[in-house]
Amino acid sequence: MALEDFALETDRCSQCSYCKWIPFDQMKSWRFAKNCPSVSYNNFNSYSARGRYAVSRSLIKKQIPYTDTVRHIVFSCMTCGSCDVSCKICRYNLYPLEMVRELKFKLVEDGQDLDEHRAVIESLKKEQNTMMQPKAVRGKWAEDLDVPRLFSQKAEILFHAGCRLSYDTEIQSSAVAAVQILQKAGLDVGIMGEREICCGGRIYSMGYRDEFARFAGENIAAWEKAGVKTVVTSCADGYHAFKRLYPEFGSRVEVLHTVELLHRLIMAKKLEFHSEVPMTVTYHDPCHLGRQGEPYVPWNGVEKKIKNQIIVYEPERPRYNGAFGVYDPPREILERIPGVRFLEMERIREYSWCCGAGGGVREAYPEYSGWTAAERIAEAKATGAEALVSACPWCERNFMDAVGDDSMKVFDIIDLVKLAM
Amino acid sequence: MALPANVYKDLEDIVGSRNISGDPAVLDSYRYSLAHTAIHLGPFFDTFTPRGACVLLPGSTEEVRAIVELCNKHKIKFKASSTFWSAQGFPSEDDTIQLDMRRMDRILDIDKKNMFAVIEPGVIGATLQAEVMKVGLNTHIPGSGCSCSTLASATSYFGSGPSNLYGGWHYDNLLGLEWVMPTGEILRTGSLGQGCGWFCGEGPGPSMKGVARGFLGSKGSMGVYTKCAIKLFAWPGPECLPVEGTIPAYRTPLPDNFKAYTVAFPSWKAWADAAYAIWDAGIGYLAHRQFNMFGRDLKFAMVKILTDPTKTLSDLEELLADPEVQEITEQSKREFQIILVGMTKRDIEWQKKAFDEILERTGGWKVEAMDEPHIHDWVLLYMIRLGHKNLNLVFGGGYDGCFGLLGAADYGASNAEEAALFKKKWEKRGAIVDAGGDCMMGPIGGQGGGGTCLWENFTCFDSADRESTEGTFEFFDACTRFGLEKGWGVGMEKWNAVARGPDGKTTSKKKRDTIHLGSPQPSVFRYQHRVREAFNPNDLGDAYYETLDDT
Ligand SMILES: Cc1cc2nc3c(=O)[nH]c(=O)nc-3n(C[C@H](O)[C@H](O)[C@H](O)COP(=O)(O)OP(=O)(O)OC[C@H]3O[C@@H](n4cnc5c(N)ncnc54)[C@H](O)[C@@H]3O)c2cc1C
Repeated sequence: MALEDFALETDRCSQCSYCKWIPFDQMKSWRFAKNCPSVSYNNFNSYSARGRYAVSRSLIKKQIPYTDTVRHIVFSCMTCGSCDVSCKICRYNLYPLEMVRELKFKLVEDGQDLDEHRAVIESLKKEQNTMMQPKAVRGKWAEDLDVPRLFSQKAEILFHAGCRLSYDTEIQSSAVAAVQILQKAGLDVGIMGEREICCGGRIYSMGYRDEFARFAGENIAAWEKAGVKTVVTSCADGYHAFKRLYPEFGSRVEVLHTVELLHRLIMAKKLEFHSEVPMTVTYHDPCHLGRQGEPYVPWNGVEKKIKNQIIVYEPERPRYNGAFGVYDPPREILERIPGVRFLEMERIREYSWCCGAGGGVREAYPEYSGWTAAERIAEAKATGAEALVSACPWCERNFMDAVGDDSMKVFDIIDLVKLAM
Repeated sequence: MALPANVYKDLEDIVGSRNISGDPAVLDSYRYSLAHTAIHLGPFFDTFTPRGACVLLPGSTEEVRAIVELCNKHKIKFKASSTFWSAQGFPSEDDTIQLDMRRMDRILDIDKKNMFAVIEPGVIGATLQAEVMKVGLNTHIPGSGCSCSTLASATSYFGSGPSNLYGGWHYDNLLGLEWVMPTGEILRTGSLGQGCGWFCGEGPGPSMKGVARGFLGSKGSMGVYTKCAIKLFAWPGPECLPVEGTIPAYRTPLPDNFKAYTVAFPSWKAWADAAYAIWDAGIGYLAHRQFNMFGRDLKFAMVKILTDPTKTLSDLEELLADPEVQEITEQSKREFQIILVGMTKRDIEWQKKAFDEILERTGGWKVEAMDEPHIHDWVLLYMIRLGHKNLNLVFGGGYDGCFGLLGAADYGASNAEEAALFKKKWEKRGAIVDAGGDCMMGPIGGQGGGGTCLWENFTCFDSADRESTEGTFEFFDACTRFGLEKGWGVGMEKWNAVARGPDGKTTSKKKRDTIHLGSPQPSVFRYQHRVREAFNPNDLGDAYYETLDDT
């Protein structure tokens, strides 16, 4: 694809501004009615999907030059996909999330990327992680774990820790816990340890398509070599990359988020809770597990018209509007933990507000990224919960940084499962 | 032309550097494509409204006042918009300063006892409704849907929609208003001007509401409205709409005092008789001919798609071939949707009985397929929140309405079939969606009984396809000719064309004068001319405020 392939869409966007709001049907208050961090923070139309369609059109038609403002407009998008969900309430032939990704790809290809992102890419090329850390210490988190390393040993299930959990010492205990829980449930699980490399998901959402393809290729090859049948990860970014993006590159493994697997084990009574966790919690749906976590459906088709001017696709095109993301397993787990009182926020499931860590925003615009997280924390507090639980280390980290000395506690769901076992 | 640096600097000092932009990329996101949803204007393929001189995001009435004063000092045109959906919110002159009012988005007060809310421009129908429902009240949402600014439609445009019947059009609902007049002075209308609060839009003394609002709204051409009070009405439902179902097929199961019907009639006369009887009986909360916007032939198949999250437009042809869908489509040819809401149990029982009797007398029937629980509850949510209005543009991204026969129920009803047949013939040419000719939709009446109906015949096209847009434009020209021939007057396909031409810019004075002189009441525009001279001496708006010189 190229940005030019979205030219028709730029003319078909109806400028309705639905992309700025959660689905109207779901609005419960004035305070938590917005969906797009980018336009909520920057306010100008250009920071919404509607505006980015306009910017795309002007770029395609060469009516505007590249400026710092253009770069800011494009890279302020977290690619959280909330605009895509709201747009598709009414539209069946617009794909704003794909458009904005393509816009990022174009800027990167035209050398218009940000210095902050370039630094990540440079380090990634050398160290194979997005944390700007040495690759030699990637496996350190699992030092004490007695678990097969799949570059030399065999196991059916690969647990992929991901860059954040491999290096963020403050939160990586949840990776350790995940492996221990899976082992305890009798699963044949292994890790790549120090040989694990980045999934590429985060750089994809920054606009580095080619680098992403390279990492996808390398991971798929490593999995094939190790004979892996299932890849499990606790990172929503990684989950999305493996589940939705890798199949295009030939991946055929089953992809599960840790919460899906834990949920299965709980339902099959292979995992039981014995301890009380007396806590009132609320749950944040990570964008890449929720609305972007729908199953991959292969499609290679074309647009056609019926009834003169109704735009459809031949064969039917997958819709990806967040309807079938991973929403219930984490909720059902929380509800089963003894002592946990679970409360919902206003913006949940497919219309959840983003944590602020995505799309390269955390790296490039920390203040705005922190504001986005703080918005979510305010929403969590409004429920009366004492803890904000998520299922992605990037969300967890962004919330922890934004909480400051606030009273809200932040957890990965696996931490609570571990406490309850 | 970029603004002179000193003017830009002065504006920046007013709103702050984060709230001003002159970057072409930002400015291009404040232009409107006259091809995709002209809203009674085009379509004109590849035509955009002019690029603004800069965009400002004011945060207070004081800032707005300072901006307007500066514009007067330098004689620069300005235009404010709040939610930027329809063409009239975008400049039609070069070098206009655009004010995006979205930062002023507070609900300042909800006066439960006196049933009104005080709002800023950025408040939309959905947020206002969500908040007022918490205290047992509701707000009228115009047909453009709940994404639109409530203040914009109350002060600056039409404001008609499904809840006209019970909630009144938005021009009825406008109470106290804070208006930064085109000179920069601030006027507070109605009771507000006398320091008595927001509760009344008129008086004391001569009312300024008409001056402030103008004929069908001042459409961004006469200063900036910064706050207004809007009348609310009773909501005997839950504090928060309970929502079930999978996106986009959300639905709301409401208590027994809510009932949604789709009713159809054996003839257009029966349809109109039923509309009159509904007013006479004083029943109904919302009433609209709604889903017919997809077209007489497509509407039930579209309802099937929209209420099933696994379906897409690609399922349309298969659904249309289904005999059951065909049968329901046939029985609901001349239909409308109505929602009865009882304030008490007795009230709903009485309304249902009265409604049954109306159906019996007119020979109408309930379309049972629309009473399936998942469809019924979807209709309730659709009509109450009106959050799917962009379905106007579902087919190819382009829609506009034609004809729009506005008047008593039997005026539209007696001409509906002819208007539909006319459109059907044009559908066969291929430029517009082949939907069955009759795609007419609109409200069943205004407030207080005996109100008006509107018959906007939806015309859908592909806004990215030159042949489709040009063919649609040809069709609209033909509609205008046909409307004049039939004595219906110029239809809504040309409403905005009075102010803006095919190049996106102001229509020539000569043409405007011809149109205004030919209108039923030219004196309205002469009066507006006087108002403009008095209130907007530097003429810093555009021709959307319609005027006619005395000469
Ligand atoms: C798809 C579609 C369907 C529609 N259907 C209907 C319908 O069924 N019934 C109906 O009544 N209307 C309808 N309209 C027109 C409608 O009234 C307005 O579009 C809508 O109510 C206002 O929303 P907006 O986003 O266009 O408002 P805006 O863009 O904010 O502006 C609407 C007008 O108000 C002016 N304005 C806005 N804010 C201010 C301010 N603070 N001070 C001064 N001027 C201001 C703007 O310049 C513009 O002229 C429809 C429009 C569209 C696009």
